[in-house]
Amino acid sequence: MLKTEALRSNRRRHTTSTPKIAYLAGMIALFAVIPVIYILIRALTGDPELWQRIIQTRLIKLFSNTLLLLLAVTTGTTLLGVSMAWLTERTDVPGRKIFRWLLALPLAIPPYVGAIIHLALLRPRGGLISQWLEELNIPSTFLPNPTGFWGAAFVLIIFSYPYVFLLSAAAFRSLNATYGEAARMLGRTPWQTFWQVTIPSIRPGITAGALLVSLDILAEYGTVALLRFETFSSAIFVQLAGRYDRSAASILSGVLILLALVILYGEFRIQGQAQFTQIGSQWRPAALIHLGKRRIWGFLALFFTVLVSFIIPVGLLVFWSTQGILDHQTFSGMQIGSKGLVSFIFNSVWSSGFAAILAVLFSIPIAIYVVRYPGKISRLFSRLSQVGYAIPGVVVALSLVMLVNRFLPFLYATSLVVVMAYVVRYIPQAVRSSESAMRQLSPSLEEASRLLKRNAFQTFVQVTLPLILPGLLAGSALVFLSSLKELPATLLLRPAGFETLAVRVWIWSEEGFYFQAAPAALLLVVIAIIPLFFLLRRESIFKQ
Amino acid sequence: MKLEIEQLSKRFTGNQYPAVDNITFSMQTHEILCFVGPSGCGKTTTLRLIAGLERPDQGIIRLDQRIISDMHTFVPPEKRNIGMVFQDHALFPHLSVFDNVAFGLQGLRKAEKKDRVSGLLELVGVEALAKRFPHVLSGGERQRVALARALAPEPALLLMDEPFSSLDAHLRLEVREQIRNILKASQSTVIFVTHDQEEALFMGDRLAVFNQGKLEQIGLPETIFHDSGSRFVAAFMGDSDFVRGTSVPAGFHTELGLLEQQNDYSPGTAVEIAIRADDIDFQLNQQGNGKIINRFFRGAFNFYRVELDSGAIVHVFKLHTEIYQPGERVLTYFNAGHPLKIFTL
Repeated sequence: MLKTEALRSNRRRHTTSTPKIAYLAGMIALFAVIPVIYILIRALTGDPELWQRIIQTRLIKLFSNTLLLLLAVTTGTTLLGVSMAWLTERTDVPGRKIFRWLLALPLAIPPYVGAIIHLALLRPRGGLISQWLEELNIPSTFLPNPTGFWGAAFVLIIFSYPYVFLLSAAAFRSLNATYGEAARMLGRTPWQTFWQVTIPSIRPGITAGALLVSLDILAEYGTVALLRFETFSSAIFVQLAGRYDRSAASILSGVLILLALVILYGEFRIQGQAQFTQIGSQWRPAALIHLGKRRIWGFLALFFTVLVSFIIPVGLLVFWSTQGILDHQTFSGMQIGSKGLVSFIFNSVWSSGFAAILAVLFSIPIAIYVVRYPGKISRLFSRLSQVGYAIPGVVVALSLVMLVNRFLPFLYATSLVVVMAYVVRYIPQAVRSSESAMRQLSPSLEEASRLLKRNAFQTFVQVTLPLILPGLLAGSALVFLSSLKELPATLLLRPAGFETLAVRVWIWSEEGFYFQAAPAALLLVVIAIIPLFFLLRRESIFKQ
Repeated sequence: MKLEIEQLSKRFTGNQYPAVDNITFSMQTHEILCFVGPSGCGKTTTLRLIAGLERPDQGIIRLDQRIISDMHTFVPPEKRNIGMVFQDHALFPHLSVFDNVAFGLQGLRKAEKKDRVSGLLELVGVEALAKRFPHVLSGGERQRVALARALAPEPALLLMDEPFSSLDAHLRLEVREQIRNILKASQSTVIFVTHDQEEALFMGDRLAVFNQGKLEQIGLPETIFHDSGSRFVAAFMGDSDFVRGTSVPAGFHTELGLLEQQNDYSPGTAVEIAIRADDIDFQLNQQGNGKIINRFFRGAFNFYRVELDSGAIVHVFKLHTEIYQPGERVLTYFNAGHPLKIFTL
């Protein structure tokens, strides 16, 4: 009732002439979209012969590899994420409250750290598991090859499923008991109810999660590079870092972005439909399903998932870190010149923190404009500012290298370019948080302030800002978390000597120094858990 | 005149019809004027135009002889000296009750502010809640805090946008009486919006009835009720039914018989007569002119719905002891004792 009223008064403001905030929002949208447009233009105006050659030699292989991985990981995360959400939200499996937290925690582990551990365990020669087996005189040849398609798919699934888990758990949670009850009264069995009522109701949540995972997979560089499965992202990285061939990289990037934009468009459509369900005052949770003797299987499924995706990786990092710190030689190897772990932490935190602040500041005008002045133009600006979802880190890097070189040469090879890349890539997350915070704010609060003699700016400072602040902080936590884990753009854009935790973890592991890399990786995970914890606490499924 | 509105109009982009269509009226100091009409009739938009929350397409708004809105002037809401109580109360969730009320008292010294807020909280009867935050208040308490906040800067005009719609039915009756007493005690000039005709009759010194963006009638509650200016007002405000008739020198010829009533219509004019449930009566009669289709028991009386042979529906009050069954044929006849309202077709 109040909500529709709020919507109606949102819409009322149509006729006023273009507000000043529109220009600000437009400039920010332009900033967010320039890198994509620039790359698309570079790609389209690329040398036809080069296009010809790339199409003949590379494109089909890259396309099939990328799509295959996308399909496998999306399917895998959806199955794993939805079943974990079902177990913790809809059944009486023991320990489900603590599992909700544990299942979300892998979000603090960058997939490439997972890939490093995966390799360290399963390498045919020298891998920990193969060594143990050899000590026990068991031939290790039956172990699966850790690299290639299956390795990459496995690692990406176990470190990406939490997205789908969180979104579908929230959808399960918001389902009102009465839907299921109505279906039962209309003659459906529990099984039919599940497939005909429950799953269709949470489908938007699941689909949105799966599409976000797809965009992440398109952008993923570290995992596929380490496990030697070539996708668009890793191929572009090689063109840039190995061959310095920006023309070929631009063409590959153009194709990749088009693919990502199609997925992003689908995601926008899903967002537009929004959720079917809402937690209103009449909401009552559905009764839990009693698993009876099968509870043990549910418990084991949860436990095994957490074991593989969180306990083993973090346990190994802790183990290696202690080994590394105790071993004098390894410990001194953690110094690069005069710089040590402290300096990597500092660089990681300030660059991610700065990006988080900028992204949130930029997102505010967009959020105000699209929520308070709904219309075609404001929606366009909001969507343009979110194309960052569709630009993988390597492409952001390529675009910024060329743009900065050309238009802002004084910024070239400074750490500010790295921050800029984070902002372009992750501003969509800030925009979404700020928009949802604004949407929850009834316009009548701002109107009340105006009638109590505050002008528009005073109203923003004294009423709007304090009330949307939690949402803004959540947005900045999200951008901080993502920037902290970011790898390819940082590697390509960082000035000499600018070392972050992510960069160091990557370089040491590529050289095979796992003991040396472990403390930095562990610190990365620990620092990432702080904003993650803050974000998870805001989720409905962690509230009682 | 306190407030003068001339030819005010507003159409929202994308809508074919104007939300507010050429409205003119004025108000006296200390008056409570009630805007009433079905949802979407333009009453809330008119209110928001006066508040400065929307820009009119045309028209003049004058408050205390000062133009606050016309083709060249648009005084922003914060400079209009107008207070408003919102439908959802719009209490600032991050401020205590005290700070909410004090929000409009910028520039006062601390002690003065404290006195003024305490005085207002006492006036609305929530002085014990000063330190609480809005989310712990009950609906009625929020209502009164919202009123105190709007009254705090001593606005020249107070606007209230369906302020009781979020309250439970039984609470509403209690709160509206308290609020009306407070408004009268503080000598406020008030525009009160509601879609509930009974609430409008209770709250307003005068009523302004809106329909499809137009002001249908403005006047005393009694006038609006007894002497409706249009068929819409009679139907919406008076719960009237309508039967057709033709004028004759002695009155009007209808299927309920002859209504004896002086009139100036030329004989044979087709008219509609507005009838309320207390204006007519019936007796059981097989040869009658209609049949009972339903009975609604209202405690003190029975309320009968009767379908006349022409298909017209009328309603009749009977004592709570007089019980008849649906389906019985009845003879329905005039029993008003006062002139009825006539509208030409």
